[in-house]
Amino acid sequence: MKTLSLKNLQKTYFDPYAGSQVTAVHDVSLDVEQGEFVSVVGPSGCGKTTILNMIAGFIPYSGGEILLDGIAVNGPGPDRGVVFQSFALFPWKTVLDNVSFGPKIRGVPKAERDRIAREYLELAGLSHAADRYPNELSGGMQQRVGVVRALANNPAVLLMDEPFASVDAQTRMTLQEELTRIWQQRKPTVIFITHDVPEAVFLANRVVVLSKGRVLDQIKVDLPRPRVWDDLMQDETFKRLSSQVLQMVRSA
Amino acid sequence: MNLVLKSWGAYVRATKRWPIIATIVPFIPVVALWSVVANSGMFPRAFFPAPVDVARTFFALMYKGILPDYLQDSLIRLLTGAAIGVVLGIPLGLLIGSSKWAHRACWPILLFFQAIGDIAWLPILLIWFGFGLTTMTFVIVYTVLFPIVLNTVLGVESVHRDLARAAQSLGASRMRVLWEVTLPGALPNIITGLRNGLGYGWRALIAVEIIVGTSGIGFMMFDARRAGSTVEIILGMIVLGILWYIVDAWILAPIERATGQRWGLVTSS
Ligand SMILES: Nc1ncnc2c1ncn2[C@@H]1O[C@H](COP(=O)(O)OP(=O)(O)OP(=O)(O)O)[C@@H](O)[C@H]1O
Ligand SMILES: [Mg+2]
Repeated sequence: MKTLSLKNLQKTYFDPYAGSQVTAVHDVSLDVEQGEFVSVVGPSGCGKTTILNMIAGFIPYSGGEILLDGIAVNGPGPDRGVVFQSFALFPWKTVLDNVSFGPKIRGVPKAERDRIAREYLELAGLSHAADRYPNELSGGMQQRVGVVRALANNPAVLLMDEPFASVDAQTRMTLQEELTRIWQQRKPTVIFITHDVPEAVFLANRVVVLSKGRVLDQIKVDLPRPRVWDDLMQDETFKRLSSQVLQMVRSA
Repeated sequence: MNLVLKSWGAYVRATKRWPIIATIVPFIPVVALWSVVANSGMFPRAFFPAPVDVARTFFALMYKGILPDYLQDSLIRLLTGAAIGVVLGIPLGLLIGSSKWAHRACWPILLFFQAIGDIAWLPILLIWFGFGLTTMTFVIVYTVLFPIVLNTVLGVESVHRDLARAAQSLGASRMRVLWEVTLPGALPNIITGLRNGLGYGWRALIAVEIIVGTSGIGFMMFDARRAGSTVEIILGMIVLGILWYIVDAWILAPIERATGQRWGLVTSS
């Protein structure tokens, strides 16, 4: 069952200094199934962030439409959880209060929302950090919090824009493995934007390649789960898919 | 050499234990020098009093209750002005900081009025409100307001856009974002603004008391001038310095540090 669908989506920015218009997204159509993990890759400036921000409702779109479960998206809302590259944790709230923020806004009573938050922290192996403040955590831990904060609010779609780009390579691999594990347990619908082709293939059911504001191609990833780097690094199918996607991105 | 190092070590340890020592010690040579000059006979004592004269006057005025009364008057005026300044300034700063339109409309006006120093308002205020509490309060509020508004705006602008977006994506309404994100995010700056505002307000208050006052520390000093009492003037100056030091170093600065450092807002951006 499809949950999110982009139809002939288009975005034109107006540049007040140049006095001209820049079309960042020309014509993008995309259907995302319930519980699907879609990675979006493409060269810098091809419109990935723009598309994600439109789905999140942070910026208006200039043409086409975005439907979530059949209803047009208009502004940000709790049905679309977002994980930011900058983590965007509230520095003045403890880890627990960050994660329980969504339920709090929904009016869930304190005891209940703390229980929810603790359950999700456990899922990310962060139970011990519940009472700490974000600036007391490593980057990897902060982004774990960012992911479960979005998940704890039970969104229909989880939107992630290069969420692991600012952590070191080792941590990134761990985070990728954890994300696939969590995805398998909870089956959220995910749109994951990245520059990193192996990352895109490792995580996704489907990789979408963008080029100059258009969908260039898509590729299904039928690798078995659970996925761990130790196995996949040597896996022929993984290597073949990755080089295929890489070629598309380079030709884009 | 060894002895110097040892006593330095003892001093450092003692200041760790009792921080007030670190505040008082630097003043010992200053007061000593003052004492030497006053006692040298270079100037008549009535013209240039010694520390002991000032101390004696301090105890006399404390005993008579004049100093505590004046101090109380000054502080109440400052706090009233500051409270009004906070109540007006923070919402105004939040509005200007979070709305592009409000910013465009208000910013030039704000800078214009900021440029007119507090004291420059006195002539017109004296005509409008006369020599009284209204005039004094107006000047204090005016002085306190600008640092609070400007710093609040800065604070709001320093809150990362992603934080507001994150809150919205978790379901927060605009009002909720203001309360849960913008205000706490701007708080360290707001406190800095309050700290500066109170500092300027304190100075402005003394100036206003000198001109329009019938009580207060500023009035005491100016009244002493009429009587030619240098001791009381110097006492007033010292009281101003000490009082402000206490308020700033022991109350405001720790609050400022506590909010900023705990959240990591000072060290990281
Ligand atoms: N606010 C804006 N105003 C004007 N032009 C913009 C704005 N934001 C993005 N653009 C332009 O739109 C195009 C797409 O930008 P976008 O950020 O979506 O790319 P991206 O695929 O996310 O790139 P990257 O991989 O570098 O993050 C770029 O040409 C960019 O310069
Ligand atoms: Mg981007």
